[in-house]
Amino acid sequence: METFAYPQFPSDVSSVHIGLFKNVTNAAQLKQRLISAATMPGPEGEQERAAVNFAFIDARLICSLVHLQTAIYQAILAHAQGALRTRTVHSEVLWALSPSTNITDAIRRYGVSDTTESLILVRIGAQGGTSVETQMASIVKGDLSSLESLPDIADWTLIRKYHKITAPDSKKSVTDADLEKSRALVVSLVAAKGVLS
Amino acid sequence: MQTSSSSTQLLLASSTLISQGAEAASPLRISKVFKARLHPASRNDAKNSPDEFVLLKYRFNKQYRHPTLDGTLTKARVTGEARAIVKCQRAGVNVPSVRMVDASEGVLGLHWIDGKSVRFLLGGGAEGEEEVDESTVEDVVDEEEEEDLLAGYDISKGTIYTRLVGRDASDEAVEEIMQKIGTEIAKMHRADVIHGDLTTSNMMLYHPRSGRTDLVLIDFGLAYTSTLVEDKAVDLYVLERAFSSTHPASEDLVTLVLKAYEKTMGKEWKSISRRLDDVRLRGRKRSMVG
Repeated sequence: METFAYPQFPSDVSSVHIGLFKNVTNAAQLKQRLISAATMPGPEGEQERAAVNFAFIDARLICSLVHLQTAIYQAILAHAQGALRTRTVHSEVLWALSPSTNITDAIRRYGVSDTTESLILVRIGAQGGTSVETQMASIVKGDLSSLESLPDIADWTLIRKYHKITAPDSKKSVTDADLEKSRALVVSLVAAKGVLS
Repeated sequence: MQTSSSSTQLLLASSTLISQGAEAASPLRISKVFKARLHPASRNDAKNSPDEFVLLKYRFNKQYRHPTLDGTLTKARVTGEARAIVKCQRAGVNVPSVRMVDASEGVLGLHWIDGKSVRFLLGGGAEGEEEVDESTVEDVVDEEEEEDLLAGYDISKGTIYTRLVGRDASDEAVEEIMQKIGTEIAKMHRADVIHGDLTTSNMMLYHPRSGRTDLVLIDFGLAYTSTLVEDKAVDLYVLERAFSSTHPASEDLVTLVLKAYEKTMGKEWKSISRRLDDVRLRGRKRSMVG
């Protein structure tokens, strides 16, 4: 897990924790847990919601750390300006990642699904949450991995499909330069999402 | 309307002011440009890759405008610039990618291009206030290095920082840069984006990774979308004028640019070329008579 500090943001959202889990085995249960936590009543519900208070992102759809950070930045910015389009800053991250303006769509595509094997957990909160990594590990069954492997997990067929990027000529092999350009485009699309439609 | 303690303002306060008035030497200062790190370096990330720097273009409050109008205009311009860039990027044009947008504060964050402008490389002289401290320092370094770099100049190997002062269009390196310019502009026009301010200071050469040199078009502050032959021809005319005013005896250079433009543009070139001839006779502004 890695932690990034954004001193320019209000203290309740100035710290970002990102954890990448590979070989996740409990994606289906996790999804069920999230759904039930959302409607659970009483103090028990509060507790359960706090336990799963993360953004859960399918790592296949993230092509680089910058891609993820861009979405996180725009989400925190919206939060700081009181301009959230979704209920929480965590769901806002998913919304920022998705090219569609439909929140359910964003969560279905970019969130955790029954078949998710590589999962990213993001916690946006106050500084000094030392227990975040333990908390992440307690809810996800998988191997905590380095964020540097994000580009290798990326599923370009899906990313291209969702962002409607025309695939490079199938006759030619995809060069590093092509991939770099695609990555840059995806980052642009995420950053400029709020002003594109 | 804007509190000085907003998040984006705090970000700007921690950034380095690069120049005032992004529209180069224009007397109308409409924005300030900063260099910043958007995302903090992570714990185990010692490398200081230029990838992590962003350019923040800040369209500040104009006191002479009514606040409501000012807010609307600023928002529209940030939006317009971001859209033009994304449109270009989709069409495969080399442009800096958008990294952050805060339309209500008038800030646009772009990928930091660590390169040199074509104007600088062709010896077009200082660009007003831009990079005042930096360029003087670099000038000295470049002149020292010039001798040995001139000998083995090879654009693909990436010694792009050689000044090309005093070289003409017959030079291979110059020719390659001009071709790149023509190709990028044509790709942009095929996506129906009109740049609006095509000058040699708005084109940069840089190495995204080793072994490759890209020509990047920058500053889409005046860009707009149009399918009209007229607008594309005027865009080229502006470029021609920019070349002739900053680089003496540059007719051959422009010819090279247009040749590459023609190649990429295909059959659309014919009508643009004809219109360009008209524009040359009458100038940028269309006659309103008739």
